[in-house]
Amino acid sequence: MRIIFFTGKGGVGKSTIAAAAAWQLARQHRVLIVSLDPAHNLGDIFNVTLNSRRKRFSANLYLQEVDLRQMARAYLEKETRVLSDTYNYLKALNLDHYFSVLKYSPGIEEYALLTSIEKAIREDTDFDYLLFDTPPTGLTLRFLALPQVTATWIERLTAIRRQILEKRYTIMKIRRPLKDGEERKEIRLSYNEKDDDILNRLLVLQENYGKLTAVLQGSTCGIVLVFNPDLLSLRESERLIEGLGDLKLPLRLLVQNKVTEENRAIADQVAVALQKASGHKGPTRYIALNQDIALKGATLYNITEDLRSDLEF
Amino acid sequence: MTSSFLGYCRQIITDVGTAQRESLVSLTCLEVQELENIFALLLMGSFIGLPAPPTFLSVELLPFMEREMRILHQRAEDSHDMLAELLGTLGID
Repeated sequence: MRIIFFTGKGGVGKSTIAAAAAWQLARQHRVLIVSLDPAHNLGDIFNVTLNSRRKRFSANLYLQEVDLRQMARAYLEKETRVLSDTYNYLKALNLDHYFSVLKYSPGIEEYALLTSIEKAIREDTDFDYLLFDTPPTGLTLRFLALPQVTATWIERLTAIRRQILEKRYTIMKIRRPLKDGEERKEIRLSYNEKDDDILNRLLVLQENYGKLTAVLQGSTCGIVLVFNPDLLSLRESERLIEGLGDLKLPLRLLVQNKVTEENRAIADQVAVALQKASGHKGPTRYIALNQDIALKGATLYNITEDLRSDLEF
Repeated sequence: MTSSFLGYCRQIITDVGTAQRESLVSLTCLEVQELENIFALLLMGSFIGLPAPPTFLSVELLPFMEREMRILHQRAEDSHDMLAELLGTLGID
């Protein structure tokens, strides 16, 4: 299975290019295209109504829009439930519902994004291609960095936790283990790695993020950068390339959208600059500005330029 | 008579042993407690303005952190008298 992310500045045509690529790839492969952009317009491009359910558009093409708010809410509801169970006694005072304020925690949206990507990668293995239409640069870089940032935190926390358990074990050894049927007055803390809930949770998370990072940096994953022939788009794309480089994510294709006869000279300059910045060896695809864009019933996803050959890596 | 005297002696030796063990582990116990305190502080440091880990990591582990939070709280309460804390730790009356 190949995984492709379409990134770029807001409004350059990421969704349209992603949709076009999906449409072309679906002639030969099974394709799922997932929109992660909170301002969903995948449905508009294909002229269908999408809710968070998956929809079959043609024999080989499936569409899905992810509702981030709903995902964040579902995740927090689950956590809040565990929390309320642990602090069960608060129910007696009717205070348990105060945990619900957790749903306003910052950073939860990125997490929901990442979870939906991870879920798609894990579960939708029967597709040949998994295409993600991402939100604008800032959020995209943040959530793509999340597995690595989190991995560092988890690693440090696991080390501390192990140290705690080791010391608890030493204490237990010196105090001598309990005999059968003997009871001790003080609380016995778990010292075995298998019994410690916190360490177990950390290890599960570590494994998940390790896998996800490996997939994102691996040879089956690719990033497509979409940009326009203008200065702002160039600058933001340069920053994005730098960010992707730091995260060691592989850039596969540069796509320059909305090229016309008039801006052709600028387009060439932008393409050269970005190719230099990224060290990208392959060609830069030019997509002409679609003049029919305002017409009702225009098939936006059906473009004449070929994207398929570049994406069959 | 003899057996009860022997039992008495054995009890004394056992108790002395236990006391020795306790004094041996007391510092390690304290170290563990401090480590747990640090663990909780790292995870929930945003309460006092420390850089926080990704929010969901805290949220994910929060349900299991009751003990650590108690320690954190206790430490905050004791922190106004660090000298007494230190002397207590070193066993100076």
